[in-house]
Amino acid sequence: MRKEVWFGLSIMAAVVLAAFVLLPAPSQMTNGHLGLLMLALVVVAIMLGFPTAFTLMGMGMVFAWIAYRSQNPGLAVQQTLDLMVQRTYSVMSNDVLISIPLFVFMGYLIERANLIEKLFKSMHLATARVPGSLAVATIITCAIFATATGIVGAVVTLMGLLALPAMLRAGYSVQLSAGAITAGGCLGILIPPSVMLIVYGATAGVSVVKLYAGAFFPGIMLASLYVVYVVVVAKLKPHLAPPMSAEDRRVPLPEFAQIVASTVSERVLPGLIGAIKGKRNSAVPLRSLLNHLGIAVLPALSVALIMGMVYFKVTAPLVEEASEGVVAMGAAATGVPEEEEKSVSGLAEPEEAGDLKLPPGAADTKAEAASEPSAASTQATPAEPVKAVATEPAAKAVAEPAAVPQRVPPPMSFWVALASCAVALAIFYAYFSFARLEIFKMLLGSFFPLAVMILAVLGTIVFGLATPTEAAAMGSMGGLLLAAAYRRLNMTVMRESVYLTAKTSAMVCWLFVGSSIFSAAFALLGGQELINQWVLSLNMTPVQFMILAQVVIFLLGWPLEWTEIIVIFMPIFIPLLPHFGIDPLFFGLLVALNLQTAFLSPPVAMAAFYLKGVSPPHVTLNQIFAGMLPFMAIQVLAIFLLYQFPAIGLWLPQMLYK
Amino acid sequence: MQKLLLAVDKFSTVIGQAFSWLIVVLTLLITWEVFSRYALDNPHPWAFDVMSMLYGSVFMMAGAYTLSKNGHVRGDVLYGFFPPRLQAGLDLALYILFFIPGVVAMAWAGYNFAAESWAINEHSNITANGPPVYPFKTIIPIAGTILLAQGLVEIVRCIVCLQQGAWPSRGQDVEEVDVEKLKEMVHVKDEDIAQLGALQPAAAGHKK
Repeated sequence: MRKEVWFGLSIMAAVVLAAFVLLPAPSQMTNGHLGLLMLALVVVAIMLGFPTAFTLMGMGMVFAWIAYRSQNPGLAVQQTLDLMVQRTYSVMSNDVLISIPLFVFMGYLIERANLIEKLFKSMHLATARVPGSLAVATIITCAIFATATGIVGAVVTLMGLLALPAMLRAGYSVQLSAGAITAGGCLGILIPPSVMLIVYGATAGVSVVKLYAGAFFPGIMLASLYVVYVVVVAKLKPHLAPPMSAEDRRVPLPEFAQIVASTVSERVLPGLIGAIKGKRNSAVPLRSLLNHLGIAVLPALSVALIMGMVYFKVTAPLVEEASEGVVAMGAAATGVPEEEEKSVSGLAEPEEAGDLKLPPGAADTKAEAASEPSAASTQATPAEPVKAVATEPAAKAVAEPAAVPQRVPPPMSFWVALASCAVALAIFYAYFSFARLEIFKMLLGSFFPLAVMILAVLGTIVFGLATPTEAAAMGSMGGLLLAAAYRRLNMTVMRESVYLTAKTSAMVCWLFVGSSIFSAAFALLGGQELINQWVLSLNMTPVQFMILAQVVIFLLGWPLEWTEIIVIFMPIFIPLLPHFGIDPLFFGLLVALNLQTAFLSPPVAMAAFYLKGVSPPHVTLNQIFAGMLPFMAIQVLAIFLLYQFPAIGLWLPQMLYK
Repeated sequence: MQKLLLAVDKFSTVIGQAFSWLIVVLTLLITWEVFSRYALDNPHPWAFDVMSMLYGSVFMMAGAYTLSKNGHVRGDVLYGFFPPRLQAGLDLALYILFFIPGVVAMAWAGYNFAAESWAINEHSNITANGPPVYPFKTIIPIAGTILLAQGLVEIVRCIVCLQQGAWPSRGQDVEEVDVEKLKEMVHVKDEDIAQLGALQPAAAGHKK
């Protein structure tokens, strides 16, 4: 037999054995022990491969009946039936789960808008100078695309088709390439808007909004750790990820750009303006010159727009301004695009508001850094000092005594920020060659629409402008528009997306129906109390409990899928948290990070199988697994970091929802 | 026999697909509601109830459809490696042990639940003058019945598989990860991948 079968059988045997050893003899069994037996049985039954939703439903029904019968045999059947239908109906009218079909729908639409090819190419060119650029581009593309779609299988398959051949051709090692694709593809589970967090929120009774705010930075952190790892590996062992040749790095320029670059100026602004004046170049059509000039000044325009808006807000009468400060701080933190900031005006946050002045610099640099990634990525330096300069005065800013009816003069920090933005722009334009203009144009067509959409959806949720449901619906609408904008919206795409969404939602929500009947039975039998007593009798410190919980979840991640782990086992862990003074929100973030590893742990990691399905025959499954291991280690490191510095996850929700 | 199986499959599929279009309705409804509330300052009190009804109907009615396409999540650590006969045997036992009692109970309880709601002409009490709830509650017995029919078909499939040693075919449907379609979407051909294999030994040798 194959080793996977042995692996599964041994887990099954271990569970059965543990149940035998730990449970008392049948004659002394209480209902609580029955509950534990039920838990052990369900793990075994799930591993037999029957659809989990119905396993849970059937088993929950039987054990609920046993529990009711021990109380009052006459009513048992009726009570069981009532329990089942009540639980089903509560899932049907659950106001958290509504977001699932909507986010899933958005994901399928975006996937079918076919942005990934463009996104990968433009990311690849934009990161050309970074060591291991192809792998870095792969991870960034995966992170963005996986976040927007949330479909691990499709992202890994697509990147396996696009990035794997590119990396292998460039001489990257199979392991590193496979690791980058599989690890990157799974990021969508963690980075919001993710379905996993909705499922956790619905199970644990934690607000999805807070979970989204909390998971944002850990997700970014994990993605950056991957990137750092790849860069370090590429730097230390160049034979694993050889740098790109100058030839590959060259961006093909359109004809007019070549003419202008060779005759007028290498740089975009002087080049285009010089050409438009028309003294030296009458051969180039004016139209394309003007178009490109328009694109070239976009960063400057957006900076000017934001600055103008900030000026308007800063100098507005103080009452409004007070609430504005916090919002802008938050906006700066998440890098929410300008649309958000504009519309945020009524979010009152009285405590913070009192002593905070609007830190325009912070909001701005972020937006600017986002608007000029070509500069930021090829020239990491220009953006950096600006940030430092801008945040410092922002921090120093003190509330000014006012309540003046007319406009308040803007604080010093505003001018500092404005000046630093101007400097950054100047540096940006000084290096803004025609090649970079081409990259910028490509990013404009692939990266920005997705980034803006994700941030808009997240922003409206996190800043309380819309409920997750509403934001999810707007996201689906955005997905529709995006697909339409890329000319991919037709009846086939629509039909496929709708059907797939129905199937995926039915899968998740029926699982919820099953698990809520199951967990009701578990609670009725008193299994929960037994576990509580047992865990408390161990006299663990909170740290020990956390480690135990994470290890258990990590181990469960091998045989089970994340949906099953969350809906079956979270209801068991969550009631224990108050005893140890652990925040369910924080616990949820750790669990979400932890379940990432479940996707990458051999031998059942599904990401590996998706990649294997589209890779050339010489790439073996073992090579893919070997490539995933370092990334798994990074995930464990990330869990450790989050545990050591909970502020990574909790800072944003705490600041926004005091 | 195969014809009957496929006919029931078809029935579940048509129902599930018809209801899945409610997702588009849901998207449009919420988008309109958000627009109406923020831009027109005209929120509708019934919107919340209708949203949850749409969502509930979609997933309940798609349950049988998902089952007919084998789309419900399974723990496939072991299952995927079993020979078809063992798979069918396990499935058959568990369908009879868990699925049939569970779904029958749900449909039956749902029937009474809905009947009660019809009897008292129940309306939603989340908002004043909420929309009627009884049609929504009727979804439970209906979805349960269709699911049961589909489950019986799956049981027959298991028996057929036990006899013949191979799973009878299922109706075609859109897949989440359809490798061929994805290949086409990003313009990658099989030859390209094969070529890569030819290219690799040299690079691998160079690496070591």
